[in-house]
Amino acid sequence: MNFVKHLILLMAMASVQPAVAAMNHNGMMMDETGMIMNSNTDNVPRDCKKIAGDVNITVRAGHKQAKKFNGIMYAFDQQQWEVPPCSRINVTFINEDKIRHQFMIHDLPGYIYPQGMFTMEIYGPGQKTASIIVPSQRKTYLVHCEVPQHMEKGMKAQLKVDGGDGDLPSIPGISAAVNADSYWVDWDKSAWGVLLVSFFAGAAVLLLLNRIKRNPAREIEEETGS
Amino acid sequence: MQNKYLRLLSLLLIVLLIPLAYWLRPGKFEEADLNPPPTRPKMTSKSLGFEKPCKDEHPEWRQAQTIDGVEIAESLACSPDNPYDIAAFVKGVNNVSMPTLMSTHLSEDALTKTDDLDGDGDPDVIRIKLEVIELNGRSPDGDFLIPSYDVLPGVQPGLWVFAPKTSDMAVKNYGSNQANYFLRAPSPVIRVEQGDQVYITLENTHYFPHTIHFHGVDHPWKTADGGENDGDAHGGAMAVFPGDSHTYEMKPRTTGTMLYHCHVQTDKHVMMGMAGMFIVEENRPNNWVQTFNIGGGHVRHPSVGVKEEYSQEYDLHYQSVDKRLAKIIQEANDPRLIEKKMNREYNMTESHENYFLLNGHAFPYTLRDDLIVTGPNEKIKLRVANAQNSAMALHFHGHKATVTHYDGIKQPEAAQVIRDVVDLASAQRVDIKLDTTNDGLHNDGEGVWMFHDHVETGATNDGVEPGGNISLVVYRDFIDEHGMPKLHEGAFDEFFTSSYYARERPMWATDDFVQLLGEAGSLAPNYLKIIAFGLTVGLLFALVFYLVRSFKMER
Repeated sequence: MNFVKHLILLMAMASVQPAVAAMNHNGMMMDETGMIMNSNTDNVPRDCKKIAGDVNITVRAGHKQAKKFNGIMYAFDQQQWEVPPCSRINVTFINEDKIRHQFMIHDLPGYIYPQGMFTMEIYGPGQKTASIIVPSQRKTYLVHCEVPQHMEKGMKAQLKVDGGDGDLPSIPGISAAVNADSYWVDWDKSAWGVLLVSFFAGAAVLLLLNRIKRNPAREIEEETGS
Repeated sequence: MQNKYLRLLSLLLIVLLIPLAYWLRPGKFEEADLNPPPTRPKMTSKSLGFEKPCKDEHPEWRQAQTIDGVEIAESLACSPDNPYDIAAFVKGVNNVSMPTLMSTHLSEDALTKTDDLDGDGDPDVIRIKLEVIELNGRSPDGDFLIPSYDVLPGVQPGLWVFAPKTSDMAVKNYGSNQANYFLRAPSPVIRVEQGDQVYITLENTHYFPHTIHFHGVDHPWKTADGGENDGDAHGGAMAVFPGDSHTYEMKPRTTGTMLYHCHVQTDKHVMMGMAGMFIVEENRPNNWVQTFNIGGGHVRHPSVGVKEEYSQEYDLHYQSVDKRLAKIIQEANDPRLIEKKMNREYNMTESHENYFLLNGHAFPYTLRDDLIVTGPNEKIKLRVANAQNSAMALHFHGHKATVTHYDGIKQPEAAQVIRDVVDLASAQRVDIKLDTTNDGLHNDGEGVWMFHDHVETGATNDGVEPGGNISLVVYRDFIDEHGMPKLHEGAFDEFFTSSYYARERPMWATDDFVQLLGEAGSLAPNYLKIIAFGLTVGLLFALVFYLVRSFKMER
C-alpha cells in the first residue's frame, strides 16, 4: 500500500517535474547554464582499436579574443588543434562573454554522434568540460560557434586529426576568405612616385627600341630621297 | 594634280557618307513596319521559380490542443505557430516538461516565471532574455546569405531582429542555410500582465551596439540599482556592446499595446527590424499570458481580459524595408566596413521604402501565416502597430472596424469611432474591434476579404503589385485543408513565383488574353540595313585613312 502510494507520488512528480535540473535526453545534457550534445568518453569509433590517448584542450571564447586579428568581432583563443588519430579530446570550454557561445564540431561519424555533431553551448560567463573520441582517418574538422554571424565574424577554428586534409577557408590568421572584403588602398606619395617612375622607365625602353630600329631605315631613306 | 582631284572627291564622299551612316544606324529599338513582332511564348514552369503556396510542414500544429495544461486555440493557417512554443511561452521554460522544452528552440534560461506576488494564481516575476539576430547576413565562405529568411519569393533583405534566447542550431540543419522558424521578422510580440515585475535582459549577440527602449510602457528612468533603464544610448556611446548584456526592469501600471525598439542609431536600427510590439494585459486572476508571439499574428492563448470580450486576438506588426539599407550588411563582412557604410556613407534622409511587411512577410507569404480566420458573429481584437518609416492607412474590405484604443489607451465608448480607413502615424498603435456580424455596417457578409495599407505603395513589393502588407480576412467556409483561401484553382500560383516579383512576366497574359496581353517579341534584325551601314562606315574609315596618308606622303 505504502509502495503504491509512493509510486503514485513519484509518477505525479515526474509528470509535473519542471525542467530545471540537468537532464540527459538523446545525448543532450541541458541545464539553465548551457547544453552539451553527444559528449563521448568511451564509445570508440569502428576504425580505432582503442583510444590512442587523451588530449586535453582549453578553449576560451569571446569578443576579447578577436582583438589580435583585424576585421572580426568574436573568436576562440586558438584557431587550430592537431591531435593523433583515435584520440580522446577532453575540451574545457570557457565563455568569457555575457552572451551565448558554442563550441561545435561537424562531420563526425553519425553512428556515435547523431547528425555528426558535437556541441558545447554556454549561455553566459562560465565553463563546461566534455569529451569526444575522433576516428582514425586523416581529416580536418570544422569547429565553430553557430550563433548567427559569430562564425562569419571570426569564431571559427579547425581540428586536424593526423595532420588534417587541408585548411578550411576564412579561419582568422590561417586561411583567407572565399568571399573577401575590399578595402581602400593607401595611395600615398611614394606609391604615386613609384607609378610615375615605372611609367617613364617603360616609356624610355620603348623610345630606345624605336631609335635602334629607325636609325638604319632613316639612313636608307635619306640616301634614296635626295 | 590627279592627287588633288582624288582628295577633293574623297572629301566630298566623306561629307555625303556621314549623314548616310547616321540615317542607316541600327538601333536598340526600331519602329515596326506593317507587322509588329508576335507575342513571346510563355515561360516554362521551371524558369518561373514556382513554389507551393503551402508547404504543409506541420499540419499537426493546427488543431486545438492542451500541452502541459496550457490550452492552445485552433489555428487554421498554412503555417501555424508551434503549440509547444506557446506552452513554454505561457508557463515559462522553468515550468514546462522536458519533452515540451525539447520541442522548442528555447534555451533553458530564456523565459522564467516565478513568484505569485499578488496571490491571484499566476506568476508575477517574469525574466525574459532577448538576443539580437542578423537574418540574411553575409558569409566570408561563399556567395550565399545566412541564416536565410525570405520575406517574399526570391527576396532576402538583410534584417536585424530581437529574438527569444535560443539554443543549438540557428539554421534548420547542418547543410541548410535557412533560418529555423524561431528566427524571423518581426521582433517578437512580448506580453506581460499589468503589475508584473518584469526583467528583460538584452544579451547582445550581434556585432554592433544596441539597446532596448520601451516605448509607451510604464518603466522607471533608472533601474533599482541606478542603472540605465530607458534604452537611450545617445547615438550609441552608452549602449550594450557586442558580447555584453544589460537588464531592464519595470512594473507596468498602465495596460495597452505599446512598443519596444533599439535606440542606437535609431533611424537605421529600427528600419533594419529592431522594433516589436509590447503588450501589457489587464491583471486578472489565473492570467497566464503568452509572453512571446513569434512572428506576430494569431494569439493562440489570449489573456483572460481579452477573452472576456473577444473570441480571437491577432497581433499585426507593420514594417518597411529600404532595400539599399538592407543590402549594406550583405556587401561587407568586416564590422568596421559595415559601420562606415551604414552610419557614414548611407544617408537615411535619402532612403526609400521598397518592401512592406505584415508580421515579417510580404504578400503572397502573408497568406501562409497572416490570415485572419473567422466565422460570422465573432468579435476579434486586432492589435496594430506601425513600425514603418511612413504613415499608413489600414483598410478592410467588407468590414468597418471600431477603433477602441489609441497608443494602448482605451477610448471612451462614445469616442470609439467606426471607420473603414484607420490611419496610423509612425510608431502608433491602435486596437481594433473587428465585428463579423453581417449587418451591412460592421460586415457585408461572409467571404474572402482583403485588408491592406491604402497608401498604395504599401501594397506592392518594390513597386510590383499585388504585394506588400496585403492579407485576407477569410471566413471558415472559405479556407481549405492547407490553410489557403478557397478561390478558383491555383488562384495565387502566379504570385508564388520569384519571376513575377523580378518583373520578368507580363501580368495579364491569361486565358483568352495570352496573345493579346503577353510579352511583345522583338524585331528580327534588318540585315540589308545592317550591311549597308557596315559598308558605309567602312568606306568612311578608308577614305579618312587615304586622305591622312596622302597629306603625310606629300610632306
